Amino acid sequence: MAAEEAKLSTAEVLRETRTYGKFRCHNPSCMGRLEPKAGDKTVRCPGCGMEFRVHWIRPDFPRIRGPVWETNRKLAEEALKKMEDK
Amino acid sequence: MALNRKIAYIDLTTGEITTAPIPIDLRRKFLGGRGLDAYLLLNHTRKGCDPLGPDNRLLISGGLLTATCASATARTHVMAKSPLTGLLGSTNMGGFFAPELAWAGFHHLVIRGKAKEPVYLFVNDGKIEIRSAKKLWGKTTTETQWAIRDELGDDEVKSLVIGPAGENLVRFANVMTGIKNSGGRTGMGCVMGSKNLKAVAARGTMDIAIAHPVEALEYNKRFIEQITSSKVNQTQGTLGTPFIWGATNSWGGLRTRNFQYNQLEYADDVEPERLDEIAEETCGPHHMAGCFGCQVHCRAKYRIPSGPYAGRYDEGPEYTSQGAFASEPGCTNAVTVLTGNHLVDQYGVDNLEIGSIISWAMELYELGIIDKKQTDGLDLRFGNDEALLEMVHRICQRKGWLGDTLADGGVQASEKIGKNSFDFLIQVKGMSNLHSDERATPGLALNIATASRGSDHLRSRPAIDLYHLPEPVLRKIYGSPVAYDGPLSSEHTEYIGKPWQVFWQENCYMAVDCLGICKYHTVFLGATHPNFEDWPKVIFHNTGLEFTPQQIWEVAERANMVERLFNLREGLSRTDLKKGDMLNHRYFDEPTRRGAPGVVGRFIDREKFKKMVDEFYKFKGLDSEGVPKAETLKRLGLENEPTKQI
Repeated sequence: MAAEEAKLSTAEVLRETRTYGKFRCHNPSCMGRLEPKAGDKTVRCPGCGMEFRVHWIRPDFPRIRGPVWETNRKLAEEALKKMEDK
Repeated sequence: MALNRKIAYIDLTTGEITTAPIPIDLRRKFLGGRGLDAYLLLNHTRKGCDPLGPDNRLLISGGLLTATCASATARTHVMAKSPLTGLLGSTNMGGFFAPELAWAGFHHLVIRGKAKEPVYLFVNDGKIEIRSAKKLWGKTTTETQWAIRDELGDDEVKSLVIGPAGENLVRFANVMTGIKNSGGRTGMGCVMGSKNLKAVAARGTMDIAIAHPVEALEYNKRFIEQITSSKVNQTQGTLGTPFIWGATNSWGGLRTRNFQYNQLEYADDVEPERLDEIAEETCGPHHMAGCFGCQVHCRAKYRIPSGPYAGRYDEGPEYTSQGAFASEPGCTNAVTVLTGNHLVDQYGVDNLEIGSIISWAMELYELGIIDKKQTDGLDLRFGNDEALLEMVHRICQRKGWLGDTLADGGVQASEKIGKNSFDFLIQVKGMSNLHSDERATPGLALNIATASRGSDHLRSRPAIDLYHLPEPVLRKIYGSPVAYDGPLSSEHTEYIGKPWQVFWQENCYMAVDCLGICKYHTVFLGATHPNFEDWPKVIFHNTGLEFTPQQIWEVAERANMVERLFNLREGLSRTDLKKGDMLNHRYFDEPTRRGAPGVVGRFIDREKFKKMVDEFYKFKGLDSEGVPKAETLKRLGLENEPTKQI
């Protein structure tokens, strides 16, 4: 058990992959890394055009509060139309 | 030590109580908690037993590690045949009860029979007493807990209780402990009510010896550091589980208006950040609380800021109350969510089930399948906050035709309502699913279709797949402790690889349920949280038992198979819409209409879904009908079950 103890487990090794100050775009087919500037209230994804409201858990720890609803609806309707046109 | 905690058999009909040690070979086969409960349920009930009859067994337990130096071992497990589904009933809750039960000398209680009049059990330092609960009958869940403490003259007594919903045999009534720790899903509170059992109280001062105390504490520091440093748990500790609801709504994975939509737009007033503001305004800056031995502190304390219940104290709300009182009924008012959450806590009823079933009734009302005659004049349209809260009262009190009908659960209600009402009921195995929409995520759809207690997110959900982790990270997680070199995918719309990921999670979730650890301390929401490789160290330091990660995996596989055996015995068949591993037709026929561009227009492909189930069965060692093969039962040491060893 002592030898195993000294060894880092998979979960502990994966800890190195954590990132702070960034989050991923909530569009699952995009998932681009977004890095809002300190205090930013919204952020737009350059990859897919989604726009999000930002909440700050801590000054160095942002998270997505939710989409900007107007942009969200517009993109959803465009995506639906594209599918219907197909 | 933890291993000398006993099992007690209580017959409420005769008043007979016996206790027994738990054989070490059963510990090695099932550890404790949910795994050992599943073994006991299969062994102590007969095929076809009435869930509300005296022969049904009610099992209450802690895990192998409960109340040791291990972190977050607060979970209490309750199991019985479900009056909601007719299949496996099982629930798991946080709080402080299971540790108190362990300090009182017991890890498992097996309760049978029916008391002539309301009673409660008092478990105290190795003794168990049956006491009258006549004065408690009719009280809410918190009133009951305080009344028991008053009667016993001890504020440290912890109780599992039912509220009026359980007394009224609402088939999705909860077992509750504390203000809001809820044993929801599958109606275990209804089983307690059917036995005239109002509560189980525990008070214990019996030490639990730790096998290697210094090492246990040293290792636990490392474990805690791993848990508290994760982003997901830091967010949980700030916003609680509503943060998951917020994120899910953001991308469009939230079941809305009974599955007509997959996103609640303009939901700013019910978002986690707004609820957190209200908690801070009404309960101050330190408004997050935790369960026994947990560092995450995911539970908000709040007072209802306005309305008829203004000033009332409660805790939460969780994701499920946001679903029940916001997205499902199409309401966007924080006070409605906080009030609804308070009502379900006090009545002792499953917020998830009640929110789902009311929103189903709302759709039936808007479609004209039911009308004001059935609703007793109530205008039960989506977005009507008052009607929503009124229906909570009616269901819990079984008041009016619709309230009484819905109190029997969706499947039975659909038979009474008739027409094509069942087509609109979003359920698996008779249980409504989390207020989530899995049409864009086949892996999650497979999880809810095959979960042992019905549509459920806490049995095998590969939630981390939504993080789009790189393949090497997925390989590290899903390739251990059992070698796997098949496909894996973190693409949300993918079907390939998901059966293994669901199978792996099914075993991971079962393992923590056997140990008594909270799922926020494993790979449920955090890829870097402890799993199979970490648990042998915790078990060894605390109990002295040696396990390899592979052996823990095998325990989990075995316990999952016992649950499968129980369900098969009670009528599970693969494609049965009411008792099978099958989804409502809307998953296959109606595409999503809202959310992020990568989510819009998604639905589950029927053929690919079938292939996923086939593959999942293969990993579990089942045949194409979902029945275990003889060699699988032999490999897991289950070929002679039920063996009635205890």
